[in-house]
Amino acid sequence: MIARLAIALLAGLLALGGCAERPAAPGAVTLVFKHAKIFGPSDPIPGLLREFERRHPGVTVKSEPLTWTSDEQHQFYVINLEGATPTFDVLMLDLIWVPEFAQAGWLLDLSPWVTTAELAPHFPAAAAAASWRGRVWGLPWNMNVGVLYYRTDLLAKYGLTPPRTWEALVAQAMQIRAGERDSKLDGVLWQGKQYEGLVVNTLEHLWASGTSLIDERDRVLPDPVRAARALTFMRELLDRGVSPSWVTAGDEELTRRAFGDGHAVFLRSWPYAMDLFEAPDSPVRGRVGIAPLPGHRDGAEGVGATGGFHLAVNRRTRHAEAAVALIRFLASDEGERALTAPAVALYPTRVALYQEPAAVRAHPFMPAFHDLALRGRPRPVTPYYLMLSTTVQPEFSAALVGVKTPERALADARRRLEYMVSHLR
Amino acid sequence: MTGRQRADRRAGIAFVAPAVVALAALALYPGLWVLWLSLQQRIPIFGISRFVGLEHFAFLVSDPRFWNAARVTVAFTVASVALELALGLIVALALWRQRAGRRVALSLLLLAWALPSVVTAKLFEWLYHPSAGLVNLLLGGRAFNWLGDPALALPALILADVWRTMPFVALLCYARLLTIPPEIYEAARVDGATRVAMLTSITLPLLRAILLVALLFRTLDALRAFDLMYVLTGGGPAGTTETLTVFAYRSLFQTLQLGFGSAISVAIFVVVMAIAAGYLRALRREGLTA
Repeated sequence: MIARLAIALLAGLLALGGCAERPAAPGAVTLVFKHAKIFGPSDPIPGLLREFERRHPGVTVKSEPLTWTSDEQHQFYVINLEGATPTFDVLMLDLIWVPEFAQAGWLLDLSPWVTTAELAPHFPAAAAAASWRGRVWGLPWNMNVGVLYYRTDLLAKYGLTPPRTWEALVAQAMQIRAGERDSKLDGVLWQGKQYEGLVVNTLEHLWASGTSLIDERDRVLPDPVRAARALTFMRELLDRGVSPSWVTAGDEELTRRAFGDGHAVFLRSWPYAMDLFEAPDSPVRGRVGIAPLPGHRDGAEGVGATGGFHLAVNRRTRHAEAAVALIRFLASDEGERALTAPAVALYPTRVALYQEPAAVRAHPFMPAFHDLALRGRPRPVTPYYLMLSTTVQPEFSAALVGVKTPERALADARRRLEYMVSHLR
Repeated sequence: MTGRQRADRRAGIAFVAPAVVALAALALYPGLWVLWLSLQQRIPIFGISRFVGLEHFAFLVSDPRFWNAARVTVAFTVASVALELALGLIVALALWRQRAGRRVALSLLLLAWALPSVVTAKLFEWLYHPSAGLVNLLLGGRAFNWLGDPALALPALILADVWRTMPFVALLCYARLLTIPPEIYEAARVDGATRVAMLTSITLPLLRAILLVALLFRTLDALRAFDLMYVLTGGGPAGTTETLTVFAYRSLFQTLQLGFGSAISVAIFVVVMAIAAGYLRALRREGLTA
């Protein structure tokens, strides 16, 4: 009797499992598209998918948004792609994951369809992140680049122009704060919480100091002296009160809100913030300008780190042709044009769109973002980027809050990284 | 065994079977799989998959990040559970003697307990906001950097956890208090006992068992604390709020070191089981479990 019961139960479980299989009607193709929930008042995706379906009779696209936190999207993809379940065909992914997923064998190699020439109309930093080991794994879709926001009214009042170096920025911030006598006005805000944002900010300071986290020959922190100088400078921003101490817990939104409420002269952030600063009810509307990130004196020119989402195809898909057609459509000139519509707070990766009159009318700052995005630099393009990032996060944070000296934090970061890299055989 | 007994026995087994099958499928199988993974070096992105035995555990023993996470976990657990029990007990006693507004007080307590922890975390993000936060405002406009100062971040998280889970302890104790017959206190009063004596000789001893149950639940939960630190500090600053579960999550899902991450999970499991076993023994002495 027990045996019979167990068999009945098992049969039930199997039947349940069977239900999960998608029915494949002959001729009809259903693509499942997993993507990040689109932030902002207007979502261009549904319209684009309907247009794609209209042009590809017999193909329907089911769009399934994921939660908006990057960590959770990554977790979802890791579990489902490693589990080798073909429950989705097309995915939108943070560009720092492209080499990682490609190396893991989870993405379809797009090289038979997409030549590197097809990537040329995209910003170089975005295109660089789409290929790995000479093959194409993703198509760039939207662009992000680190920029410096400043208060045009405050700088004009003191006869200043946007600073070219961090040292000049510090001097300007101190001058304006001394003149304004407003205890609520901070100098410069940036992202110093222990998370990916801190790594991005530190990378930008490392680059502006003429060094990097990892060089072309995969050497970790190749110039510890310059790196220590960069970290020391970041720490001094806090020590000298140019940045408020809470920057050590600040992420994009916390710092964006403080600047948006008029509580800072400068802010390092991404382009999406501009649409919010220019919103009708924004206290700083019409008083915000953008400039390239400053460099460091006796270092290098400032350059913003790039980010954004790419589109890729699950290697386990049963409909490779249709899936590739979908991402090529979404990343086409027409597909990315939808990102320039009014009320969409996403910026395309296609360079030409930044000069389109309609786009510029909807987003007057697009030409300025164009120049910054063109010079933008990708974070290290390597499959172990996340390992790199999560390993250095606590160390950089320790240097910022003064738990370790910058030299010590860098030495510890380096030791851990070298240990890990050596174990990746 | 009579035929009737045998039939009862078979029926009993049949009734238990679904639970056993479900447990085996949902807990035992994944658990064993994690144990098996922890003995391997498995990093799918590099195609690495080999048996390494206890190597990960040997590395963990000498890993400062692991020991830091262990220290943070223990500090968080001891402080938050102690505060929750003490405050929960006080709140329960206050509620018990309260005449008016008891229903409102109970609803407010339940609200804190019923909020999803990510919502609680977001709430505290605003309470702790350095310039606009209520906490700093109440402290006279001081600019405490609650979540960004290595000395304040862990206490700030402990306070948030206490706010969230103290009601659980309070409600458990309150429910037990309601079942104490008032005659006991009348008798004590006739014997001339003071209020303090009634508290220490009657109320607290009667609450002992339920407090132990609360202690068990809260300790096991606190040892696995994850969401508050994950949302509020990301384990920072300088790793001062990185618990073992956050460390395991980072290794498993962010850096995809499936073997190494599983080893951390196994370490957490062993600690939790050891403590649970200790508590269960204590409970058995109290005669609460068979």
